[in-house]
Amino acid sequence: MTAPLPKRIIKETERLQTEPVPGISAQPHDDNARYFDVMVQGPDGSCYEGGVFSLELFLPDDYPMTPPRIRFLTRIYHPNIDRLGRICLDVLKNNWSPALQIRTILLSIQALLGAPNPEDPLNEAVAKQWKENQGEAIKTAREWTKLYAQPKQ
Amino acid sequence: MKFGQEYQRVLATQDFPEQWRESAIEYKHLKKCIKKIHQELQSLGLDADTLRQMSEWVGESQAEQNDSKGYYSAATPSLASVPEEFTPQLRVLVDKRTGMPLDATLAPDTKSALQKLAKHEMMSAGRRDYLGASTPSNHAVRKSSVVGDTMEGTIMEAEDARWVQVPLASAKDFFDLLEPKLQDLEILRTAETEKLEEDILDLGDAVENVVQPVREGYEATRKLSYRDLYFWREMFRLYTENPIFYSGTESRRGALTFNEAKSRLQAYDAQLREIGLLEKMKTPQAKRAAQQFLDLNVNILRIMHFQEMNARAMTKILKKFDKRTHLEGQLFLKNLRTKYPALLTNSGKQSQMQSAGGFANSIARDLSAEIATKVLAIVPQPEDWDCPVCYSMAWRPVSLGCCRSVFCIRCIIKLQDEGMKRCPVCNQESVMKADGRNIDFEAMDFLQKYFPMETKKRQKENEKAALVRDYGEGFVKSGCAMQ
Repeated sequence: MTAPLPKRIIKETERLQTEPVPGISAQPHDDNARYFDVMVQGPDGSCYEGGVFSLELFLPDDYPMTPPRIRFLTRIYHPNIDRLGRICLDVLKNNWSPALQIRTILLSIQALLGAPNPEDPLNEAVAKQWKENQGEAIKTAREWTKLYAQPKQ
Repeated sequence: MKFGQEYQRVLATQDFPEQWRESAIEYKHLKKCIKKIHQELQSLGLDADTLRQMSEWVGESQAEQNDSKGYYSAATPSLASVPEEFTPQLRVLVDKRTGMPLDATLAPDTKSALQKLAKHEMMSAGRRDYLGASTPSNHAVRKSSVVGDTMEGTIMEAEDARWVQVPLASAKDFFDLLEPKLQDLEILRTAETEKLEEDILDLGDAVENVVQPVREGYEATRKLSYRDLYFWREMFRLYTENPIFYSGTESRRGALTFNEAKSRLQAYDAQLREIGLLEKMKTPQAKRAAQQFLDLNVNILRIMHFQEMNARAMTKILKKFDKRTHLEGQLFLKNLRTKYPALLTNSGKQSQMQSAGGFANSIARDLSAEIATKVLAIVPQPEDWDCPVCYSMAWRPVSLGCCRSVFCIRCIIKLQDEGMKRCPVCNQESVMKADGRNIDFEAMDFLQKYFPMETKKRQKENEKAALVRDYGEGFVKSGCAMQ
C-alpha cells in the first residue's frame, strides 16, 4: 500500500496512545498502520471479569466510510461471538457511522461483554444454553475466561 | 516532627501575603493542645490502653447491635444536622442511679472519676429536663441485652443503664482553635477565587484586543494581527495539551498536586522560551497580555500551594488527635465536609491518585474552567472545527440542518456517492437532501478570518479531490502536464 495514511487514522492512533481508554489498548503494527493488535479487559461484574481478550482490528481502504473489521483471537463463550471470533454488533454492520471511531467501537465491544444478548445470536448453541440455563452458561463463560483469557505473565 | 517543620518553613519562606498567613492553621499550637488532652485523659485514668480496650469493646457491641453507638465515643452529632459547634465528648454507659460506669474492666480510680463527672452531668441534664429543654434522649437508655452480653458479671436492667456524655474541656479547646481557621480558609478561598476570576476576565479582554482576526477593509494591518493570532494559538494549544492545574482525561481526572502543577508550569514556561513565542509577538499590548497570562498562572499556583499546605496540616493534626486521644476526630472532618462542600471535591478514588487536597482542589478546578471559557476560548483552535468524518478542518463547512455538526463538503459528497443517507452524528436521514444551500456561510466567514492559512490549504486539497472524483486518480498524479 503506497497511499499515504489519511489524517484521520493518524489522529485516531495518536489519541489511542496518548489518552488510552481504561481497560482497552490498541497497538498498530509497525509494517501496516491499518492493522491493530487490540486488548480488551472483561468488564468488572461480568462473567468475563479478570479476563484479558485479544482481538485483531483492520481498517479497510474506505474507512471511515466502512466500519473497521474486527474479531476476537481469544476464545470466548458468548452468544454474540462465534467460534471464529466474529462479532455480532449493530455498529459494526448496519448501524456503522463514519463519526464512530476505533475507540468507540472497542468500548461497544467491551459493553457487549457486560451485556450478552442471546435474542440476537451469532453462536446458536451458546445462545440456546444462555436462554435455557443461564446459570450454567455464565458458569461456562467464567471457566472459559479462566482457561483462555488469562493475562500473559 | 518533620511535617511541622516543613509547614513552618513553607509558611515562612514563601511570599504569601500577611493576610493569608493569619488564616493559616496553627499546627504547633494544636499539637500542644493534643498533649493537653492526652494529659487530661490520663488524669482520668484513661490511658491509651484503657481507651483502646474500650473501643475494641465498642466494636464488639456494634457487631451485635447495629444501632448501638458504642460505649464511649466522641459525640457523633448526626450528619444531617450540622451543629454550630462541635464539642468532643466522652460517652459513658453508667448506672442510672449511682452514675457508676458499667465497664467492669475499668480501674476503680478511673471509675470513680468518671462517676463523678457523670453524676454532675446527670444532675445538670435533670435540671434541663425539668426546665423543659429536651436533651438528646435517643441514646439515653440502651437495651439490657447488650449490657448483659458484653459485660461479665454485671446484670443490669435496661432502665438502670443510661448514657452520659462527659465533655472534655481541653479537647474542646482543640476544636475551638481549629474550626475558626477553616472558616478563615474558606473565606480566603472565596475571596481569592473571586479576585482571580476578575483577573481572568481582564485577561480575556486583553487577549481579545490583541487577537483581532483579519477583517475586511483592514488589509493594511493584516500581516501584523494575523501573525500574532497564530502565536497566541500556539501558546494556548500548548497550554491545553498539558493542563497545569486540572486534568480531565479518562484515565486521570482531578486537580493536580501543587508539586505537579508547579513542574508543569515550569515546563510550559520553558517550552514558550524555547520557541521564543513571547519575543515573536509584534505589539507591546500582545506582549503585556502574554505576561499577564503567565502571572495569572503563577498566582493560582501560589494560592493552591497555601491551601494545600493547610489541608495537609489539618489531615495530619486530626490523625495525630485520633492517635493520641482515641477520640474520634475524623468525625469532625466529616462534619466539616458537610459544612464546606468545597472541601469535598475529590472522588472516592483519592487513595489511588495523587490529587490536590482541601480547598486547593476546588480552586484548581474552578479557575481552570474559568480560564478555558473566558480566555482560551477567545482563540479558536483548528481542532474545534474538525469535520467528524475526516478529522481535518471542515472546509467548506456544510451543515445538514439535522444537528449542529459541521462537516466538510468533500465528506458529504462522499457520503452521497456511497449512498449513506444518515447523518454520521445524529443518524437522521439528512445526507441526500444536502446541496449548495447547505453550505454554512457564517461558519465559512469565521473560518476564513481565524484560520486563513488552514482554509487556503484545505481549499487546494478540496480542488484536487474534486478532480480525482470527476476524472480519476491519474489526472492529478504529480508530473502530469495539467498541474
